[in-house]
Amino acid sequence: MDQTSQELDRHVRKFVYDQAMQRGSLPSLAETSTALSISLADVQSAFQRLAVRHILVLQPENGEILMANPFSAVPTPFLVELEAFSCFGNCIWDSLGIAALLERDVRIKTACGDCGTALELSVVDGRVQGDLGIIHFALPALRWWEDIVFN
Amino acid sequence: MLFFRSEEHVDRWCRQWNLPKGALLSLDQGWRLAQAWYGPDRREPDWRRKTVDEAEALFAELGLTSHFWSLRANTTG
Repeated sequence: MDQTSQELDRHVRKFVYDQAMQRGSLPSLAETSTALSISLADVQSAFQRLAVRHILVLQPENGEILMANPFSAVPTPFLVELEAFSCFGNCIWDSLGIAALLERDVRIKTACGDCGTALELSVVDGRVQGDLGIIHFALPALRWWEDIVFN
Repeated sequence: MLFFRSEEHVDRWCRQWNLPKGALLSLDQGWRLAQAWYGPDRREPDWRRKTVDEAEALFAELGLTSHFWSLRANTTG
C-alpha cells in the first residue's frame, strides 16, 4: 500500500471513530466523502482496505460500514445508553468496550441469549454492576474473524 | 459474544444450536477484557491493531491462557 493510501485510510478511520464517539452512529460513504472532501470512489476504496485490515466490517451488499468495533452501524440486541446519546454494541464485549473506549458511564440493555429475558447492566465510575449473568464466547479467539458477524 | 442469565442457559443455547460450548467469563472478567482491548488508545489517529503477541499477552494478564485464547494456528493443548 502506498503512502497516499495509508494517509487516506488514517484520515478516514479517524473520521469514522470521531463520529461514533461524538454521536454513537457510524458515518455513511456519502457522509464521509462530503466531510473529508474525498471522492466517493476513494472513500469506498479506503473502507475496503480498512476492512481487509480488520479495522472495519462492511455490509456486503453496499460497502457501507456494518461495524467499527466496538460500535455497530445497525441495531443489535445490545443497546448502550450514555448521557449524550445511545448506540449499539456488536456484542456484550463490545458494549462494555464502548464504556471502556469512551471512559463514560453507560447503561447496557440486552437480553439472555437463550431465553430472551431482559437484562440490564451499568458501568458507573469504572465499575460494572447490574443483573447477574455470564458471558459466553462461542468461537475460539483464532476463529473470531472467520465469521465476525456471528461472533 | 452473548450474555446469558446463567451457565444453564448457555448449555441450553449450545444444545439448541448444536454448537460446542465455548469460554465463559464473569461480568467482571468481561469488563476487564473490554477495558484492556478497547482502551482509549483506540481513539488516537495512529491506533493499530494489536499484534498476536500483544493480544496473547493481554489475554494472559487476565488469566485467559487456555488453547481457546490462542491466536496461533499450529499450537496444541
